[in-house]
Amino acid sequence: MKSFAPTLWLLLFTLALVACDPSKGAKFQEKQTGTQVDPNEEYVMVTTAVNMPMYVNHDQATFKRWGEQMGVKTSILGTSEWDVQQQIQIIEQVIGTHPTGLLINGTDPSIARAIDKAVEAGIPTVVYDSDIPQSNRHAFLGTDWYEIGKLQGEALARLLNGKGKIAYMGIVGMTNMENGFRGLLDVLANYPDIEVVGKYNDEANVEKAAKITADLINAHPDLAALAGFDSNSGPGIALSIREAGKTGKIVVTTVDWEPEHLKLVKEGGINLLVGQKRELFVWYGAQFLFDMVHQTNRISGNDKSAGITNVPFAVNTGLFTITSENIANFLP
Amino acid sequence: MNTPGIAKLLQERVFTLSLTLVILVGVCSLIWPDTFLTFSNLSTLLLNISTDSVVVIGMMILLISGTFDLSVGSVYALSGGLAAYLAYNYGMFTPVAILVGLGVAVLIGFINGLLITKVGINPLIQTLATLGIVRGIFDLMGKVATLPEGFDALGTSRLMGIQTPFWVMISLVIIFSILVSRHVFFRRYYYIGGNEKAARLSGIPVNRLKVWGFMLSAFLAGVAGILFVSRMGAVPDTLGKGLELKIITAAILGGASLLGGQGKITGAFLGVIFIHLISNILVFARVSGQWTDIIFGIILVLAISLDIFLKKNAEIRLTESLRNIYQQPKP
Amino acid sequence: MAAARLLLSAISKVFPGVKALDAVSFDLLPAEIHALCGENGAGKSTLMNILSGNLQPDEGEIFLHGEKVVLANPLSAQNQGISIVHQEKSLVGNLSIAENIFTENYPVKTGGFIDFPELYSRTQKLLQTLNITSLDPRTKVESLSSTRQQIVEIAKALAKNPKILILDEPTAAMTADETETLFRILRELRQKGTSVIYISHRLTEIFEIADRLTVLRDGKYQGTFPVADMTIKSIIRLMVGRDLEEQTYTSQQQKNILLSIKNLCGHKFHNITFELRAGEILALAGLVGAGRSEVARAIMGIDPAEKGEIWVQGKKVIIRNPPDAIRYGIGYVPENRKEQGIFPEMTLADNIAVTSLSSLARKGFIQNNQVFSPVQKLVEKLQIKTPSIQQKMINLSGGNQQKALLGRWLMLDPSVLIVDEPTQGVDVGAKAEIYQLLRALAAKGTAILLISSELPEVLALSDRVLVLYNGTLTGELSREEATESEILHYASGLARHSP
Repeated sequence: MKSFAPTLWLLLFTLALVACDPSKGAKFQEKQTGTQVDPNEEYVMVTTAVNMPMYVNHDQATFKRWGEQMGVKTSILGTSEWDVQQQIQIIEQVIGTHPTGLLINGTDPSIARAIDKAVEAGIPTVVYDSDIPQSNRHAFLGTDWYEIGKLQGEALARLLNGKGKIAYMGIVGMTNMENGFRGLLDVLANYPDIEVVGKYNDEANVEKAAKITADLINAHPDLAALAGFDSNSGPGIALSIREAGKTGKIVVTTVDWEPEHLKLVKEGGINLLVGQKRELFVWYGAQFLFDMVHQTNRISGNDKSAGITNVPFAVNTGLFTITSENIANFLP
Repeated sequence: MNTPGIAKLLQERVFTLSLTLVILVGVCSLIWPDTFLTFSNLSTLLLNISTDSVVVIGMMILLISGTFDLSVGSVYALSGGLAAYLAYNYGMFTPVAILVGLGVAVLIGFINGLLITKVGINPLIQTLATLGIVRGIFDLMGKVATLPEGFDALGTSRLMGIQTPFWVMISLVIIFSILVSRHVFFRRYYYIGGNEKAARLSGIPVNRLKVWGFMLSAFLAGVAGILFVSRMGAVPDTLGKGLELKIITAAILGGASLLGGQGKITGAFLGVIFIHLISNILVFARVSGQWTDIIFGIILVLAISLDIFLKKNAEIRLTESLRNIYQQPKP
Repeated sequence: MAAARLLLSAISKVFPGVKALDAVSFDLLPAEIHALCGENGAGKSTLMNILSGNLQPDEGEIFLHGEKVVLANPLSAQNQGISIVHQEKSLVGNLSIAENIFTENYPVKTGGFIDFPELYSRTQKLLQTLNITSLDPRTKVESLSSTRQQIVEIAKALAKNPKILILDEPTAAMTADETETLFRILRELRQKGTSVIYISHRLTEIFEIADRLTVLRDGKYQGTFPVADMTIKSIIRLMVGRDLEEQTYTSQQQKNILLSIKNLCGHKFHNITFELRAGEILALAGLVGAGRSEVARAIMGIDPAEKGEIWVQGKKVIIRNPPDAIRYGIGYVPENRKEQGIFPEMTLADNIAVTSLSSLARKGFIQNNQVFSPVQKLVEKLQIKTPSIQQKMINLSGGNQQKALLGRWLMLDPSVLIVDEPTQGVDVGAKAEIYQLLRALAAKGTAILLISSELPEVLALSDRVLVLYNGTLTGELSREEATESEILHYASGLARHSP
C-alpha cells in the first residue's frame, strides 16, 4: 500500500474534482425548443489528436458552444497524439458509462466495430467528418473527400490552362485522403497536357511537406503546381516555394482555412483553399443526437421499437473555396 | 505479520501493484456504483489489455536479460496488416495468412538479434532502425477495410461471454509466468541481465539466448497484432504506433529494470492492467488529451521513486544484519 | 604528542546495530608513512571516511597541528590539507590527464574560459615532481593502463598540495615494478614532508615502505608499532586475533595428464605449450599484460585461439565457447570478481547454481528445494558466511564472494580449474581459507592452473611455475627452484641472458 499511496491520493483527488459536479441535482430546465432538457444529459465527443488547432478551434469549440446553448453537458475524449487504437478503446470504454449520445470522429474504418458496440448498447451514435460506411452508425455528417480532390483538380486545370507538371501530397494510406487523391486524378485525366509527377506522403507534418516541396522544385525546375490534402501540406508547400523564390510561379491549391492558410492566400503563397464546414457537421451532428434522444421528429408511434432512426442517414455539409477574391470575408 | 515481513512484501512489485489495483477498483466502484464494476466494463477492460499483455511478455523477457526492443509496435502492425492483406487481397487461406504474418515477425526478430549479437549494434539503435524500416513497409502495403469470415472469428468469437483475445492472452500469461520463473531456459535470462560477462564465463550461451529473446518478442508482438486486427476487422494506418513505449512503461511499473536481471511476467501483466485501469478511470472521469499524458508521467515517476526509497530502507536494515554476522568474534 | 600532525582521539562511530569504530585513537607524525592494517570490516574504511569528511564521528575528537577541527565534508577536509585516493577510480575516461587532475580548479582566463596551455604546463610540472615524464598531460585517461591511472589518481590528490595523503589499496592491480615506482614516489613525498596513511592487504609492502603501523580489529584499536619491531606473523596475529595455521606443503600431483596445450597462439600470446597433471597446481606467473589471462581465456573458449591444439585427457578437442570448455570439464574463475564473476543482484544460491542449472532441474523445470539442498551443503563446506543462501550476492564480503565463485565450479566437479587472481581484494583470513580450498581440490585430483600477480601466493601454492613475458613462455621453475627473484627475472624478459 505504501508504495503507491501518494499516486493513489493524487488519482483520488483528480477523480474527486471531476466527480463533484455542482450542476448535479438541478431542476429540469425549459429551453426555447420547448423540449424538456435534463441538465445531466451528457453528450460525448470521441476523437483523437485533441490538441490539433483545427479540431480545437472548429470542432471542439462548436461542440461546447452547442452544449451551452442547449443546457446539456458535453465531454470531449481523446489522446493528444493521433492514435486510432486508443480511440477505439475509449469508445469501447465510454459505452459502459452510459452517455446520452456519442459524436464520433470518423478517423479510420477500423473503428467500425467499436461504433457497432455503441449502437448495440442503445446509445445514439453519430459519425462526423469522414464516414464509416461499414458501421451501423445512426447518422453521418461530413464532407465528401472525393469532391475536395475534384474541386482542387478543376481549379488547377483552370489556373494552368490545361498544361504543366503537377505533384500532390497528404497522408498516404488514409481513407479520406485517398478518396481526395482519386477525385483530383479523375479530373486531371481529362487534360492530356497535364503531367502528374508524383504522390507524396507528408504525414501531416509541416517540415515533411516543406522538404518534399524543396526536393520537387530541384528535381523538376518546371514544376507548375502542387496540391495538398492535409492541414499542414499548405504551409509546408508555401514555405519551400517562398524560399526557392518561386512564389506566384507555382500554383498551390490545398485544404483547410486556419489563420496561417488565410494569411498565405492573402500573401499569394496559396492560390486556392478548399474549406470544410466543420462547424456545421459538428453542430448538426450533436443536434441529431439530441433529436434522437428527445424524439423531436417522430415518424411512428414508437420509432425505437419500430426500428426507425428519426434523423437523416447521411448529410453532406458541403465545401467552399477561398481565393484572393473572397479572402477579405475570412480575415478578422 | 511482523514488520520485516511487511517490509519484504512491500519490496515485491507484484504485491504492491496488486494491492494498488484492488484499492483503485474499490474506490472507483464507490464513485461510479452503477457503471464501473460491471461485467460489461470489466470485460471491455480485459479485452483491451489482451493485446498489450501479449506484447509485454516478450518485452519483459528482453528487459530481464538487460535489453529491449523498440520495434514491437511496427512488428505488431506489419504482422497483423500483412496477414489481413494476404487473406483479403489474395484470398489466402486464413491459417496460412496468419502463419506468414507470424513468420515475418519471427524473421524480423531474428535479424534484430543477429545484428545485435554478432555485429554488435547497440539494441537501442538496431531496434529503432527496425521500427522505422518495418513501419515503412507497413505503410507501403495497402490497407484492408473488411476481413474474411474466418479471420474475423479469431478476434470476435466468444467463450463464456468474453472474446477470444482475452483467452489467448490469459493462457500465454499463465504459461510464460510459469516458464519464466521455473524453466532453466528462461532462468538464464536473469543471469544475462544480472551480469552478461559473468554469464558468458559461466557457460551460458548468451548470444544464442538473446537472439531467441528477440525472436520471441517479435513473435508475441505479431500474435498481438493479428489478434487486434481480427478483432477490429480492419487495419488502422496508425496501428501499433507508440506501442513500444507504452509496453516498456508497463513492464517498468511491473518491476522490470532497464539494467536487467529483474522482473516477473505477472508483474508486467499487472503493469499493463494498471495502465489500462488508469485509462479506463480517466474515460469515466472524462479526462482527456494532455492531462492523460501528465497523469501517466507523474504516476511513473512516483512509483519508481517510492520503490527506490523502499529498497534503500531495506538495504540499510540488511547491512545491519550482515554487519552483525561479520562482526561476530572470530574463533 | 604535540608533535603529531594529525591526532584522532577515542573516535567512535555507530551504525545502526553495529559499532564500526570503538574508541579508536591514531596519530600521524610529519613526514612519516603510517600503515593501517586490518581485515575487511575492521573499520579502516570508516576511519578513512571520517578523515576525508564523508562521515562524522559520534564520539571523539580530531586534532590537526594540535588544534581541534571538524571535518564537516570532503571539501573542508581538502581545505585542511587532507587528500584521499580511494580504491574506486574517480577518473573520467574520455577526458585528458590534465583535465582529470584539475577537475575542481581549472586555471581560467577572463570570461571563464579554460586556460589550456596553463593547464597542461601545470600538469607537466606536477608530473615532473612525481618524476614521471613519460606521460603527456593531453593523453586521455581511458587509454592508460590501470597502474598509470592509479598514478594519475595520486597526482590528482597531490594537486591540492596536501599535508596528509591517504592511499587505499593503491597496489591492488599493480605489478612488482609498478609498485616500486609508487614506493619511490611515496618516499620522495615523505622527504618533502608529506605524511602518508597507507592501507594495504599486502603485508610485505608494509615492511618495505612504512615507518609505523596501526592495527584495527572489529572496530577496536589494537596498537601502534614501529614496523621494525614487527613480523608478518605478529601483524597477522593482531589482525585476526589468532595465529593462522602454518600450512605444510605436500604435492598432490599425480601421473596422468589432464590438459595439454600445444603451440597455442592468440592475439597476445604465441606458441604456448604446457601440460597439466591431475592434482597439480601449476602457476602462470608474469607481469600484468604478459598475456596470462589471455591464455586462460583461449583455453576457456572466450576468445578462441588462432592456432594450436588443446588436448583434454588425451583427446584433441576444439573449444569455440565456454559451454564447450565446460563440457570438457574445464572451469574458470575469472579475475576481476565484480566485473566478470558475480551476479550482484542475484542470490548466493543463484550465483552458485548458475553452472549446473540443467542438472539441478527436473525436465527443465527448477524446483527451489532441488537447488537449495546441494547449494546449502556447499555453502557450509566452504564456510561462506551469510545469513541465508537467499542473500543477495552484493551484500557478501569479497572473500565470501570469491568462495562462492569457486563453489560455482565445485558444483560441476571439473577436472581442470583455472583460477585467475583468486585472492584479489580478499582479507588475510579468507585468503588462507581459499588456499586451503585449492589444496583440498588438488588432493582430490583436480588439476589447477593458477594465475596470480602475488608472488608469495604463487610460491605458497604451486607445484610448478611457468613464467610468461610479452606473450611467450620464458621460464619453467619447479617448486624447489622458484623464488621471487627468479620469477621476476624471467617475468622481465631477461631469461636468455641469465647464466
